[in-house]
Formats: sequence, C-alpha cells, structure tokens
Amino acid sequence: MKTFTDIVRHRFILENLVAKNLKALYRNMALGFFWSLLNPLVMAVVLTAVQLRFFGQKHDWPSLFLCALIPYNFFAYCLSGCAHSVVGNASLVTKVRFPRQILPVSVIVTNLVHFAIQSTLVVAAIVFFPPMHEAPGGGLVPTQILGWQLLWLPVIVLVNVGLVLGLGLLVAGANVVYRDVQYIVDSVMTVMFWLCPLVYDAGAVLGENATWGYWLYFSNPLSGLLDSYRRVLYHGTSPDLAALGLAAFVTVLFGIWGVRSFWKHEHRFADLI
Amino acid sequence: MTTAIRFENVGKRFLVQHQRPFLAKELLRSVLQRPSKTNDFWALRGVSFAIEAGESVAILGANGSGKSTTLALVAQTTPPTEGTVTVTGRLGPLLELGAGFHPDLTGYENVYLNASLLGLTRRQVDGLLAKIIDYSGIGDFIDAPIQTYSTGMKARLGFAVIAHIDPDILLLDEVLSVGDGQFAHKCEATIHAFQKAGKTLCFVSHSPAQVLALCQRAIWLHQGKVQAIGKATEVCERYQRFLDGGAVA
Repeated sequence: MKTFTDIVRHRFILENLVAKNLKALYRNMALGFFWSLLNPLVMAVVLTAVQLRFFGQKHDWPSLFLCALIPYNFFAYCLSGCAHSVVGNASLVTKVRFPRQILPVSVIVTNLVHFAIQSTLVVAAIVFFPPMHEAPGGGLVPTQILGWQLLWLPVIVLVNVGLVLGLGLLVAGANVVYRDVQYIVDSVMTVMFWLCPLVYDAGAVLGENATWGYWLYFSNPLSGLLDSYRRVLYHGTSPDLAALGLAAFVTVLFGIWGVRSFWKHEHRFADLI
Repeated sequence: MTTAIRFENVGKRFLVQHQRPFLAKELLRSVLQRPSKTNDFWALRGVSFAIEAGESVAILGANGSGKSTTLALVAQTTPPTEGTVTVTGRLGPLLELGAGFHPDLTGYENVYLNASLLGLTRRQVDGLLAKIIDYSGIGDFIDAPIQTYSTGMKARLGFAVIAHIDPDILLLDEVLSVGDGQFAHKCEATIHAFQKAGKTLCFVSHSPAQVLALCQRAIWLHQGKVQAIGKATEVCERYQRFLDGGAVA
C-alpha cells in the first residue's frame, strides 16, 4: 500500500517526470503528437495488405486488428519503458532520496497518454472499416458496436493498467539486478504478438467449448485482455467473463509479486546501478 | 545543540561482482548449484562521528577513501550494512550540478523537475521561480533547451535551485570548482549566508584549500576509516603532510 500512498504524496515529481517524458519525446519530432500514430498505422496498413491479399480476410480486418494492437502497444511500451526506468535514471537514483516506484509509474502514465492518442485509430478503423458478422441466413451484415457492452471498457482498461503496474514494478526492479531483463522483456513481447489474439481471433482458434487448451491460452492475462477489447469493440458483445476474470486474477498475482519483488531490491538500487 | 548527522559504528559493504549478473546465467547457475563469484569490499568500516546542527564540517580524503559513500549514506540513497546513520532536518542533496537535468527540456522546465525531486511542492516552486532565474543569471536562455547551455550555465542553474530550496543540511560535493569567477564568488557568498543562518554544511573535498575556506571542523577518511577528526586547520595540516608523501600517522 505504501507503494501507492508515497506516489500520491510525491505526485508533483510524478507530474514533472511525465511532462518530461512527453515533452522530450514530442519536441524532437516534426510531426509532434501525430508521430505516435504513425507506428501502429504503418503496422496496420502492411498487415492488412498481407491479410487481404494472401489470406482472404474480410474487409473489416483493420478494425479486428487495431482494437487489439493499440492495447498491445500500450502493454509493450510500458514494460519496455519500465524495465529501463530505474537504470536509465541512475544519476537521480544515486543522488536523491525519492520514492523509486515513481520512475516506472511515470512510464506507465506517459504511455496512458499515448494509449489515449492511439485509441483514435481504433475509432477511425471502426468508422472506415465497419465490423461485419455473418447473418444467420448467410451474407455479411454490419455489427452493432454502439451498445451497453461498451461499459465494460473501463473495467478492461483498469485490469490492463493493473497488469502493467505489477509487471512494470517487477521488471523495473529486476533489471537493476540483472541487466538482461530488458532484452528478455522485448523478446517475450515479440512472442506475445503471435501468442495473443492480434492477427487472428481467439474464438476462431479455440472453438466454442472451454477445454484445457482454452484455460491454458487464457492463463496468459494479455490474451484475456486483448480478447475482451476485441469482443467489446469488434464483436459488439460482452467480454468472455471467464477469460477476463482469469486475467484479473493473474493480474492480482503479478501485482503482489511485482510489489514484493520491487521492495526486496529497492534498498540496493543505488549500490547496483 | 542538536545533532544533525550522527554516524555510529557505520560500515558499508559492497559486493564486488566480477561480471554483471545476468538473469539467464544466474538461473543456470542455480540449477547447477554453482554460486557466482563475489568478493566483499568494505567501503567504510567502524566509522563514528557527529555533526552538530549549525556546524560546517568537511569530509576530506583521497580518491577511494569512502567520501562519496559517506555522502550517499547521509543523503540516504543507500542504507548502511552495519551501524546506524541518523540525519535530522531537511537535506539539500548533492545533485551534481546539472545532474537530473534533461537536455531536451528548457531551463524553466528543468527547474520544476529538479526542484520537485528535491522535495518542493508546485506552489513553492511557483513562488521561488523568479528568484531562482534571477540568481542564476541565465536570462532569456531560461526558455531554451538545456542542451544549448554551456557547462557553466548548467552549473549556475543547478546551484540556483539548491540555493533556494532552503535546506537544513547542505551537502556539497566539490561543486565550487565550476562556473566562472564571478559566479563562484556568488556561490561562496550564498554558502556563507547559509552558514550564518545557523544551517549545517557538509562538504566533501580532496582539496585542503577549499576546506579551510569553508569549514571549522574536518573529518579525514582514509581507506574507509576515520584517520583524523578535529579542527579543520589541524586535520588539513596532517592531510597535507600525507599528500606530500608522509606517513598516514
């Protein structure tokens, strides 16, 4: 609990670090905030071209892809940034006493801003490539996206932020002790891109019934989260509560592990950097 | 008189790893049950001293004598391995002048970042901003990115922030050597005013001349132990003799 009350008490540091991250990033870019749209945009255009041309996907594929890619990007940027957050601020950590957990948390808050900006791409995709589904009688009909199921979004985002907080603290502390953690994180995220439902739909792979393969697949909380985003934003239904519930449960476990691991190493940060 | 900084039988041990540990390698080692090779190194051992509030004390010593470790312990960025360190009062830490500045941010933005790290609230910085900018003599450059600043300008802005956060204990790490003559003069005047106000000064140096200019008392560290402690003139004299090639005792 102290992890978070200290942040509230020192929120002025947090504000300044987030402002630093954002300003330092965007000031050097001619396109400013539009820059952060470019990476997912290029990714979506290339993969859409491949999917439509070679795999015969439906024309709404950009919406299917982007509503999972943007949260995935948020997740990946957060973990990569958190892993680097303490080590990259060595000059501060060795000189000033301030709550160290502010460093990874500032990375997460910064990326929440990027996440919000990039979310406009999801909206654009849904508008220009409206999600379709097969009607009972055959043929494609537009899916109704605007509905009560959208109220699940804040819940999903909350679990998502909880997950990156736990894992972020974990990798931030671990990377001080073992410097290869940040490379391991990047590699794992590349694997996750294919392991989680990004370029394919989880339902299409797993089928309808909850088998052991289903539970194994969704024991990876990122799979459950991305599937939930997609159900709400693309399929227009409520999330799969078993998958989302499992993701939330694993998030709590990672949260406890992350906080404990961070505090276990915290007193040695200045010595090890 | 209260004690500002008290060291009681303080020791600080570092584990010297011959190679940086890697997670992949350590996992393999733990499977093979081969512990990694580490050596102990005591940067400080059995160090005791007290600095009273309002005193100006220098910590003197050659490279590797434990000065920086002592300051890190006072700044509480690292805990002692044994013994206790007690610090009473608000610290003005030794951000190496300009460390913690981000090159892409303007001077103005860096003042906020730096001051917040040193423990100030937004309202306090708002109130001090004009004074800090004026003191630094940066002028219109305050709105330019720090990367356009000269080393001297960075040092001036850094010292301007520390000079205005009004700490009870000021920690200085050989900072006076930067900046031009005029600004060095200003720094000294600020430090003297600070001393007159009854604040505590803890000054780390390897130069007896600087120590004598600022401090009445001195602590000489040698290889992690207190070699001498007492009046600055006497300690500096012994230290100077040691530097000139004499024996330690």
